[in-house]
Amino acid sequence: MMTIVALAATLAGIWLAASDRENTSRAMLRPDRVMTVFPDPKPMRAFALTDHQNRVFDLSRLQGKWSFLFFGFTHCPDVCPTTLAELARARDDIARNSVGAEDVQFVFISVDPNRDTAGKLGQYVTYFHTTFLGVTGNDAQIAKLAAQLDAAYQVAFTPGMENYPVYHTTTVFLVDPRARYHAMFTPPLDAEAIARRFKVLRELEGAKAT
Amino acid sequence: MRWRHTISVCLVLALTPFPAASEEADVAVRDAWVREPPPGMTMMAGFMTLRNNSSRPQVLVSASSSGFETVMIHRTIVKDGMTGMVHAPQVELAPKASLIFAPGGYHLMLINPNRTLRAGDRVVINLEFRGGLVLPVACEVRK
Repeated sequence: MMTIVALAATLAGIWLAASDRENTSRAMLRPDRVMTVFPDPKPMRAFALTDHQNRVFDLSRLQGKWSFLFFGFTHCPDVCPTTLAELARARDDIARNSVGAEDVQFVFISVDPNRDTAGKLGQYVTYFHTTFLGVTGNDAQIAKLAAQLDAAYQVAFTPGMENYPVYHTTTVFLVDPRARYHAMFTPPLDAEAIARRFKVLRELEGAKAT
Repeated sequence: MRWRHTISVCLVLALTPFPAASEEADVAVRDAWVREPPPGMTMMAGFMTLRNNSSRPQVLVSASSSGFETVMIHRTIVKDGMTGMVHAPQVELAPKASLIFAPGGYHLMLINPNRTLRAGDRVVINLEFRGGLVLPVACEVRK
């Protein structure tokens, strides 16, 4: 009898601890200044861009991986390098987790295809992290992806002007392995906070899939 | 040993002639650095902390460097959900106050360096203030 009571108590304890962990995890995913998780992730629709290795980067490239997407341009001296350096740190942090970073990709989408050729993009993104991908396309192709994420940008292209201004959102968009727009990160971006939240989200979503 | 060293430093400071000490002066800059540019990139940003030690406003009006074709004072802004840069024609430092040039805010926009800059290198940037004060600032290139 005592054994059964003790066993029941132990099991109850384990269950409570597990549900507490689950609740804590859920609490960590409430919208705050680091991350906003959408309760109803939005499926992405077709688009077609080109990556820095001249391969097609389309909807199928978002499937089967968590994708961190960031819009910018290589002539950006402040916000883009700051963001990419922070994302590189986040990626390293995620890789240190037992699950690793094999199912994660970081994609820099240049909104300035006029200056950002595939070659330049490759040199640029891999400087921050060897695994980073640079992607671009023509204006209509970029717009097709950006519109799905409400990613604002504006290229004040001026013929004959070398350093024309480019404006772009600073949000980092997270698309899940089912190619659904699942969450976003807004500045100030902090690598450690991004990695921590992401690992919790991935764990919860992984549990849901099985 | 350490104490003796400290005392000797204090003595040197105490013996420094007065005019030199007062030149230490109106504006001080510390932690000046330039972000190492990714390969092939010719635009980079410089950051620093400025301190106005004087009891009147100091106005930074321009910056220049023999190491770059162009140096401008810029500020990163966010407007309509987008970030961008605007040229700051002048930056006022309030009396006895500090101002930080940092990522996401004020920065020195450095265009076309005359050599490839790598982490650990140093470049000198001259800050020019209204009234004629020119402050050479040694900036470390950092990754």
